[in-house]
Amino acid sequence: MQIKPILAAMRHHKAGTVLIALQIALTLAIVCNALFIIQQRIERMARPSGVDETNLFVIRSDWADKSDPQRIDAQMRADLIALRQLGSVQDAAPINSFPLLGSGWDNFIKLQPDQVKMTTDSAIFFSDEHALATLGTRLIAGRNFTASEAGAQQPRDAMHAAQVIISKDLAHRLYPDGSALGKTIYVTMGRTPSTVIGITDTLQAHMTGSWAGPYAYNAVLVPAQLLNDYTYYLVRARPGQLDAAMRDAPKALFAQSRMRIIDHKDGVMTFAQVRQRAYGPDRGMAILMAIISAVLLAITAAGIVGLTSFWVGQRRKQIGVRRALGATRRDILNYFLTENLLIGIGGVMVGAVLAIGINVWMVSQFEMARLSLAYVAAGVVALLVLGQGAVLAPALRASHVSPVEATRSV
Amino acid sequence: MFAYYFQLGLRSLRRNPALTALMVMAIGFGVAASMITWSVFRAVSGDPIPGKSGQLYTVLVDNRGPQYNDKGEPPEALTYTDATALVAARKAAHQTLLFEVAPSVLPEGNQSLPFIAHGYATNTDFFGMFEVPFEFGGAWRASDDEGRAAVVVISHALNQQLFNGADSVGREITLDRHSYRIVGVTAHWDPKPRFYDLFSGNAFGDPVQVYLPFARAVDVEMDTAGRNNCGSNVDFGSGRDAWLHGECVWVPMWVELADQPAANAYRDFLTHYAAEQQRAGRFHWAPNVRLRDVNNWLDYKQVVPPESRISLMVALGFFVICLVNTIGLLLAKFMRRAAEIGVRRALGAPRGEIYRQFLIEAATVGLAGGVLGLLLTALGMFGVGLLFEPQIARLAHLDASLVAMTLLVAVVATVLAAFYPTWRAAKVQPAWQLKSN
Amino acid sequence: MLKMTHLSKVYRTEVVETYALRDFNIDVKEGEFVAVTGPSGSGKTTFLTIAGLLETFSGGEYHLDGIEVSNLNDNARSKIRNEKIGFIFQAFNLIPDLNVFDNIEVPLRYRGMKAAERKQRIMESLERVGLASRAKHYPAELSGGQQQRVAIARALAGSPRLLLADEPTGNLDTQMARSVLELLEDIHREGATIVMVTHDPELAARAQRNVHIIDGQVVELSEDPRFHPAQVAAGEVRG
Repeated sequence: MQIKPILAAMRHHKAGTVLIALQIALTLAIVCNALFIIQQRIERMARPSGVDETNLFVIRSDWADKSDPQRIDAQMRADLIALRQLGSVQDAAPINSFPLLGSGWDNFIKLQPDQVKMTTDSAIFFSDEHALATLGTRLIAGRNFTASEAGAQQPRDAMHAAQVIISKDLAHRLYPDGSALGKTIYVTMGRTPSTVIGITDTLQAHMTGSWAGPYAYNAVLVPAQLLNDYTYYLVRARPGQLDAAMRDAPKALFAQSRMRIIDHKDGVMTFAQVRQRAYGPDRGMAILMAIISAVLLAITAAGIVGLTSFWVGQRRKQIGVRRALGATRRDILNYFLTENLLIGIGGVMVGAVLAIGINVWMVSQFEMARLSLAYVAAGVVALLVLGQGAVLAPALRASHVSPVEATRSV
Repeated sequence: MFAYYFQLGLRSLRRNPALTALMVMAIGFGVAASMITWSVFRAVSGDPIPGKSGQLYTVLVDNRGPQYNDKGEPPEALTYTDATALVAARKAAHQTLLFEVAPSVLPEGNQSLPFIAHGYATNTDFFGMFEVPFEFGGAWRASDDEGRAAVVVISHALNQQLFNGADSVGREITLDRHSYRIVGVTAHWDPKPRFYDLFSGNAFGDPVQVYLPFARAVDVEMDTAGRNNCGSNVDFGSGRDAWLHGECVWVPMWVELADQPAANAYRDFLTHYAAEQQRAGRFHWAPNVRLRDVNNWLDYKQVVPPESRISLMVALGFFVICLVNTIGLLLAKFMRRAAEIGVRRALGAPRGEIYRQFLIEAATVGLAGGVLGLLLTALGMFGVGLLFEPQIARLAHLDASLVAMTLLVAVVATVLAAFYPTWRAAKVQPAWQLKSN
Repeated sequence: MLKMTHLSKVYRTEVVETYALRDFNIDVKEGEFVAVTGPSGSGKTTFLTIAGLLETFSGGEYHLDGIEVSNLNDNARSKIRNEKIGFIFQAFNLIPDLNVFDNIEVPLRYRGMKAAERKQRIMESLERVGLASRAKHYPAELSGGQQQRVAIARALAGSPRLLLADEPTGNLDTQMARSVLELLEDIHREGATIVMVTHDPELAARAQRNVHIIDGQVVELSEDPRFHPAQVAAGEVRG
């Protein structure tokens, strides 16, 4: 196939050529970035929480009478006994916040009491010796809290954190050589030391924001139930009995005391709902980007079909002459396919640069990652194939132009 | 002539249904994507208190020093100590301080269940400074603040829930086991973003239901339901009193300053206050204070969610591509009619008339695209919930201005896109076009 | 009415310079019916496009109805085309999207005429060409002869001073060609000035005066009794 006559014809249709190339370029730039955003969001959503999500649910109980701390403490202990006695419940634990909740308590973690800058940041989960069994999170080193270590405290009290259990990622962050067990660390924001008595397998923090990316798997378990205006109860149902447990548990709590508030809307949530809430915007963003990419590709393809059809219509006579002079159908088809490929290549070259440019700008604005070149490459191939596919119908129509057209004058 | 061209435009729409449908869909999708994301963006980025946002300033004092503060910036709220001292100084025209509370409400009668009400502990200046409208009664008095009175202002919605909307001023409600006398019921008031409490991340939170005097809330040991930030390396001791008088920040403070000189004077006063703290040995660093007005504070706190910005930009990029597509298709559509143009020119149409005819034709395409875009936008409003958290999604709605904007943007954008194809059309020479074909 | 003196038209490309008209002189008086003949490529169509202000020229002068048109801008030229000139095309050049009525209305619209007057003129000119009953038809629904009559009605509706016709019967069979020609003759008798380009010697013979163009120049005026236009044209066709 000779390229020169095609280039000459393209010079003749400068505007159309430039418009198609421009459309391909912009589509490539946006689709690359959109797909990249989708991939990043899906990656985020696929992160493990480290807990037994299928059997876990949470109840938020606000105290209606805001009674004194001793009574709250007693009430919580009674509540927990009641929950653990339910046939559908495997275990239950009090907690101030939990993985993926979004809000909670985070402290700077230090290795030395006088350290000025933090070593890292971590979620602080106040709970008791049932926490790990309820979450379904394995200890990979050390031991669990004992019942006697588990205490209670008010939010403004000094932290009851002489012994702490920390997550694997936090342990690795603090002691990359793997020697965190038994070490003294500072998790209270003060000068009181804490001893690491256990290390859990992967456990996600409550923070879901992008700022918290580096700390997303840092968690400290403190053996104290927090006597606040409200508490969460983590409840792990026996396998297959989640629905029953979710019906039984609030009843059991109200049987203990009616002076509590469990919101009818989100007072009781399965962990699946927690996950859905935490990643709602990510999922939405991925869906929006997917819709936009799909519509964009469709519109670009349709635009190529429209403009090429117009060209074919304009060049019917010329095509007829070529046919009369001996061009085969295949030659005519190849002509239009090659023409589209040339325009496409021009478009994707500009588009690749634009895609990277947009990404660099987004990185500077939105704490996003660098676009991987594989995406650009995939996008380039996708758009070239799309262009060839779109041009096929009008090109086939062109190849069926009869040589008789050459003789028609009007 | 306009009606004539409009009619010609409509006729032309019918002539190449496939091409027309393609253009209308491109514009419709483009404008809908832009409008849906725009409706969210405009809701989250608007000025929550227009007309006054330049006179309201949040007050920030660095109580951590250069070693512990965040890149030189003071923490984002004040300590109890600083907030109460600065409010007591009364150096601004008005000053208020606040923290979020979530008391339980025990409705009268045994059949109703207790519930949590969301609100703020603040002072009387709050209502005037932030232009809170009242349905019944009004703000409590300054003497109620000083007297730590058990009074409360409730919202229209809470009044509806508790008293069926009757004038409840003078009646009592029970918050966290304590009784409060209602002095006012606000009309609906819910500025978005909630600029005065960005500290707790409540920019788009549920509407506020109760307001009670700051001093009273502290007296009854109502704990903050909002954020509490103790910074780094602050040994604040143990117990509520140590915390209350310690260096944790949890009290946003606002002042109203009429003009720039007043703001400058207040900044001087703040600097002076910090210098005094330094002299007293509490701060070991030079005064580091900030006065940020509403818009500055919204910017600083980056209230607009990145999702909103990104989706708006992607949608606009999408729209641009749709328009490039439209340029190409219009070019094809117009140039297909080169013969007609030649005839019209021969019959005496000046270039201007060709411009007019084809731009109006483009406008009809744009209008059709706008109508489709409107339908898609309305449809998309249901889908906004997928994209944003519920408290942000509910801010997006299709109102008259968005309808007008959708149609206008569609028409204007299409007409702009039509300039090049129309220019090409108007360049067609008046000639025996059909003869040479 | 139409006077060209020393007019020239040059087409320039990067490589060559072609004279389409060279030292071209013609003077058509008011009320004349002139046929312009000449071989293919002689410049007769170029002459007509320039005469109709569809194209500009390179040199010389052109007075139309007493106005020197070489310095007029596009708008003024459009106005003259609209008000003083009626065009009859070989290919009819009706706008396929518009029905007969709307086609005739096009030049009247550009003149800014009121709706009532437009309607009156359109119906008058349709009656003139005998197609009043076809006002709502689309061009595709009419025969070639009918289409050309509509085109003539469109040219007449604006009451032009000058009718320019380019092979008006070129696309018609003999029967239809004759009736169109008769129509043109009627129009001429009523006082219109007509300039018609044609190949057809029979057609040219019906004109009052013949102008022959060869190589972009007027070579002969057929008022010379020794030189009969029909022969010239016929010879050209044969040769």
